[in-house]
Amino acid sequence: MTLLLKQLFNFLKLLNSDTGTNQLAAGLALGLILGFAPFLSLQTLLVFAIIFIFRVQIGAAFLSAFFFKFIAYFFDQPAHLLGRAVLEAEGLRPLFVTMYNMPLVPMTRFNNSIVMGSMIVSILLLPFAFVGFKIAILKYRATVVARFKGTKAWKAFAATKLYNWYTTYDKLYG
Amino acid sequence: MTTPEQKTAKQKVKGPIRWEAIIPFSAICLIIGLYFHFFFDGHLRRALEWAGYNAVGAEVNIANLETSFFNASLRIQGIELTDAERPTHNSLKIGDIRFSMLWDALLRAKVVVNEAAVEQIEFAVKRKKPGKVKPPEPPSNKPSLAEQEVQKLKEQALKEAQGQAGDNVLGDVIAMLGGTDSNVQLQKLQESLPSKALLEKFEVDLKTKQQNWDQRLKSLPQGKDIQALSDRLNKIKYKDFKTPQELQTSLQELDKVFKDGDAMYKQVQSTGDDLSKDLKALETQYKEIEKQVKTDIKTLEQHFSIHQLDAKALTIAVFNRYLAPYKAKFFRYKELADKYVPPNLMKKDKKNEDIVIQPHPRVEGISYEFGRLNSYPLFWIKRTAVSSQAGLSPEAGNIKGEILNITSNQRLIGKPTVATLSGDFPSNEIFGFLVRLSLDNTKDESEIDYKLNVDSYSISGKELVQSPDVKIAFNKAIGSMGLEGRLTGLKNIVLAMNNKFSKIDYAVSSTNDIADQILKAVFAGIPAVTLSVEGQGVFPDIPLSINSNLGPELQRGFEKQIQAKIDEARKKIQAMIDQEIGKQKAQIEAQLNQLKGQLDNEVKKAQAQLEDQKKQVEAKADQAKKDAESQGKKKLEEEGKKALDELKKKFGL
Repeated sequence: MTLLLKQLFNFLKLLNSDTGTNQLAAGLALGLILGFAPFLSLQTLLVFAIIFIFRVQIGAAFLSAFFFKFIAYFFDQPAHLLGRAVLEAEGLRPLFVTMYNMPLVPMTRFNNSIVMGSMIVSILLLPFAFVGFKIAILKYRATVVARFKGTKAWKAFAATKLYNWYTTYDKLYG
Repeated sequence: MTTPEQKTAKQKVKGPIRWEAIIPFSAICLIIGLYFHFFFDGHLRRALEWAGYNAVGAEVNIANLETSFFNASLRIQGIELTDAERPTHNSLKIGDIRFSMLWDALLRAKVVVNEAAVEQIEFAVKRKKPGKVKPPEPPSNKPSLAEQEVQKLKEQALKEAQGQAGDNVLGDVIAMLGGTDSNVQLQKLQESLPSKALLEKFEVDLKTKQQNWDQRLKSLPQGKDIQALSDRLNKIKYKDFKTPQELQTSLQELDKVFKDGDAMYKQVQSTGDDLSKDLKALETQYKEIEKQVKTDIKTLEQHFSIHQLDAKALTIAVFNRYLAPYKAKFFRYKELADKYVPPNLMKKDKKNEDIVIQPHPRVEGISYEFGRLNSYPLFWIKRTAVSSQAGLSPEAGNIKGEILNITSNQRLIGKPTVATLSGDFPSNEIFGFLVRLSLDNTKDESEIDYKLNVDSYSISGKELVQSPDVKIAFNKAIGSMGLEGRLTGLKNIVLAMNNKFSKIDYAVSSTNDIADQILKAVFAGIPAVTLSVEGQGVFPDIPLSINSNLGPELQRGFEKQIQAKIDEARKKIQAMIDQEIGKQKAQIEAQLNQLKGQLDNEVKKAQAQLEDQKKQVEAKADQAKKDAESQGKKKLEEEGKKALDELKKKFGL
């Protein structure tokens, strides 16, 4: 829980700084896949591996996953219809039969209509989500953060000793 | 030259890979590994015990459970299933179950076991301490499907109990032999007979109707009215008309008489129709009363427990108690099967179904199985070897057998699940048992074929009938049993069971001396008892036909003494009914006949008279018209002749 809170805190810190835009956008975009995929599946494991191995913002991924789980919940019915249509397509049947009998692939649970529908949507949305999140973060920094840092209240707070102590601590242990 | 700030910035630039996470990752892996090594088996064991308790409804214990990740194996030792009906004992105890799964299949998210072993099977073993039995679930306002099913079963049991008229037939027979005087009770019951109440109500209705009809019949045209009509008709001139006006007037008068007659006729006819309808309704009501009288006779016979002294009823009376636990077990297992056997696999196109694609319905979404021939189904235990050897523990038996192809998709492998077990339990004196069970889900509807044979089993102290009047039991006996049948679609069942009891030491006694003598004489002459049960039907309505050589023997033994008593009691009831209902019945029949007579005499007579008058009017009107026509014709001829004569005169002819 502490680790998770630390990651979320880091996410907010990074969001309000000038660096790590790609890390944040990648984290948020991968969170979309996590949100749409079932918890016990190979793709979830794969995304977790990417998040942990590569320098992707973990807090952003978890926050995004939490948010997209709700979206996925409401998206279940269309995902079921889409997945069912794909899984029952005559032309794709030989492919699915091969995939179903291959090692590891069945662990993605692609043979479930909701998983298949959600997977298609999340993979299609992934690049758009990455670009979209990146633009959104930049715009947020340019408008909201810059305006907030220009306020007298912030300037007054930044001039306090408490803030100085915090920045020193952050440089040393953050 | 670089400033110190630039140096720090350079040091802080990190690559895309999180190298610093290697140590935490390794630590997590180590923790997971340690958990699976030290704790997972214990947790899985407890989870299985909990799941078993909830599924079976009684405590399930597992002595030891071992798993191996690298061998993909599972070993469960000392499985004990508490008998819910006798918590001090286990219904089943299995010494050892072990199997290894194929890694090849596991990588494909399937569970395939080439060979599993089940060893050391014991039944009805005493537990170290009594097992916990799940309390019944609290009733909810809205009955669930399972509750509805239970309710159905209860109703079925009640229906069966009613059909068999209780298991106290022998007690009733003995009460008959004792000659219980039922006259006093009959007297009391007379007043509360439903047919009597119906008759009384019918009588009141009939009287009201009669009064109503008397009034309506009085308002009908009487003889004098019809005579007046006839007189008016006779006065009307219907021939020798001198002028057309005279004819016109007659015709108008005739029309008026006709219309008056017709109105009277219609009044009589509608009254007649209404009376006929009422009579029919009364007759129907009366027939219902006659039916009720018959029902009352039957009810009275049941009240006084007057059964047909037939072999079947006696057989059921003797073996009902013996078969009850088997029936209860059968329905209990059916209930469990309904709860846990997966529903028939969903098919999209039933006509052209593809054997390799079978979607399973889920709570959300559908999981498709894209199998192909010779590929792995989701779950498949190819062979389970079952073996047990007597002597290792007192209750263990000699069992040898195998269960083939336990699978989630029989269509994929094209084979049914077949279990064959044979052996004996010397400690329980059960010898030569053979169980063969085949579960075929490759067809549209699942088919379960079952066969159970036991060559010999020991019976001691088995009570068959235990009532205040009579006691019948097997002190000792040797039984043999054969049971086979088929269950289609988990609903349609066919079963046939044949039991034979030999070397019997009977314990028979009765409070009635005559019955005691008869029973002892009958049982002394039966060295072997056969019992056959046959049934066919749809759950939960499975009528059972129970036959035994004991029934006819008992019937013959009791027949002479008891039949006379039964006939006597029947006569008493019939006489009471005749006396009580017969009087009213005769009165009502007379009243009904009176009403019918009124219909026949008064209404039909008036109808006939009026019809006659109508015909007369019509005849006279026709006559008047014809007469007028002939007169007109004559006149015309005469005038024509005159005109011709005048013409001849003019031309001098």
